[in-house]
Amino acid sequence: MNLALFIPELALVATAVIVILLDLLTEQKRLLAQVSISGLVVAGGVTVAMWGHNFPTIFNNMLAVDNFALFFKMLFLGVAFLVILSSVDYVIKFARFQGEYYALVLLATLGMMLMAATTNLIAIYIAIELTSISLYALVGFLKDAKSTEASLKYLLLGAVASAVLLYGMALIFGFTGKTNLHDIAQSIQALSPPTLFASPALILGIVLLVAGFGFKIAAVPFQMWVPDVYEGAPTPITAYLSVASKAAGFAIILRVFFSAFGQPDWLSQNWGLIFAGLAVISMTLGNIMAIPQSNIKRLLGYSSIAQAGYLMVGLAALGVSPVGDILGQSGVLFFLASYVFTNMGAFIAVIAISGKLNSDLIDDYAGMGKRAPLLALALTLCLISLIGMPPAAGFMAKFYIFSAAVQHDLLWLVVIAVLNSVISAYYYLRVVKVMWLGQAASQEKVPSSAALRLALVLSCLGVLLLGIIPGYMMRLAELAARIFIP
Amino acid sequence: MLANYGYIGLFLIAALLFTLLMVTIPIALRFLRIVPDKPNPIKNSIFECGMETIGKTWVRFNIHYYYYALIFLALDVLVVFLYPWAVNLRELGGSGFIIILVLMAIVLVGFSYAWKKRVLEWK
Repeated sequence: MNLALFIPELALVATAVIVILLDLLTEQKRLLAQVSISGLVVAGGVTVAMWGHNFPTIFNNMLAVDNFALFFKMLFLGVAFLVILSSVDYVIKFARFQGEYYALVLLATLGMMLMAATTNLIAIYIAIELTSISLYALVGFLKDAKSTEASLKYLLLGAVASAVLLYGMALIFGFTGKTNLHDIAQSIQALSPPTLFASPALILGIVLLVAGFGFKIAAVPFQMWVPDVYEGAPTPITAYLSVASKAAGFAIILRVFFSAFGQPDWLSQNWGLIFAGLAVISMTLGNIMAIPQSNIKRLLGYSSIAQAGYLMVGLAALGVSPVGDILGQSGVLFFLASYVFTNMGAFIAVIAISGKLNSDLIDDYAGMGKRAPLLALALTLCLISLIGMPPAAGFMAKFYIFSAAVQHDLLWLVVIAVLNSVISAYYYLRVVKVMWLGQAASQEKVPSSAALRLALVLSCLGVLLLGIIPGYMMRLAELAARIFIP
Repeated sequence: MLANYGYIGLFLIAALLFTLLMVTIPIALRFLRIVPDKPNPIKNSIFECGMETIGKTWVRFNIHYYYYALIFLALDVLVVFLYPWAVNLRELGGSGFIIILVLMAIVLVGFSYAWKKRVLEWK
């Protein structure tokens, strides 16, 4: 067993434990944020150093240390870094439990890193639970009526989703007798097509897996928790949920469906069609429901449902006609990276503005262009990126995904997706209009702290860089996606 | 594949019919006057296994027990891991010893957290 390959995760565990202990001993709560950030930096540095090598799997084939896992680990560590930076001022709202907040964020990050790396159904389940349980607690941290309701809702629906996921895993284990994804793939490929075709248990298992993972990525029939939880949770945690939790869900979907169910072709066509259907309803419902929202966090919640829909267009394209290229997979990874920067940026701007206004209503954002021009500019950039307009990252991301879908003969899906992008422009631009053209209620400036400004600058830089020179990130994504090419 | 779904459908229909049948039997017997209608207070009383409850059923427990239950749970899980480890200690050797020490250290962090947060004080 090679523990050296497990250093990023061990560093996070150690940091979380140190934060908990330090919280008991010190009254200087800012120190906790600094310790958390330095732990993340150490873990991130080791992860970056591990990039590009061909490491063996560790813990008896439970965890893979391939480029795909490392790509997502860097993503999650980056998100956790931004979340903690943007929480530094927010946590003052909590009278107690600041140390627990940072420790739980670190543990949730650990769970997501494991989610991206696991190649075993049981380990997948444990990683998902580690993430979810930390997040259930984090959602309820404000301890007011809305936050508690959100936490309870998330817990109950999450428990149901876990049960569905476990049932799906049990069916797949019952059908193949294996829990390792590669063993599952082998035993599926060893069967003759008629036997496979006459086994509804496998199909049912796959459908239940889609449902369980669909809850994590907030795809439409499983999205009921999104608006309430996003509205009630502390805003940095909302950002964390909408970005990292979703990316982790997609990481695990990509790995499970391509490693275990990628072959034979008719099987992948079946789940490709499931994702195509989910994509259509997610995009349409997310965008239409976002239009009447008056709360910016609910608006971004519905928008994140729609974004999950665009991502599933990529999944559907890969499933429906598995051509031996990696344009699709790397497109999905690129979209996830750009979505991470964009949505983090948008939420950090919301944290900065709403923290001063004490309100999440879009109408109260009126005149922000004069009161806080830089924040308004950053939020505008991120919203433009979410629509998918150049020069922001969202444009390149949508371009890659849609072109992959067109090349894989899914023109109808792309037409629906583009129509949805047009619908989405309406409600994103409404926020922009209110900010720049609305009449401000007061002329008071909206100051923001140095940590928030740093986080905002980093995310906006990411959005612009990915939009203007997408080549570097695309190359990283291609390297990461190469593990799916046999 | 369709035949398999057909079987499931048959089972579903059979299950529904069986349920309906079981519900209608007592109603039908009553309707046919095979079952006599002679209610009395003992017959109508709530049917429970064992004794009738004394006092209110909704007893309140002190919320403090919740903390003890949580802490006990952590200890319980630790012991579950310690037993197989203790049995196989010779084969596991030094690395096994260090690993269990790490596990205990992590659980101990939890206990010291509870201690410091004054969970163990009965107020």
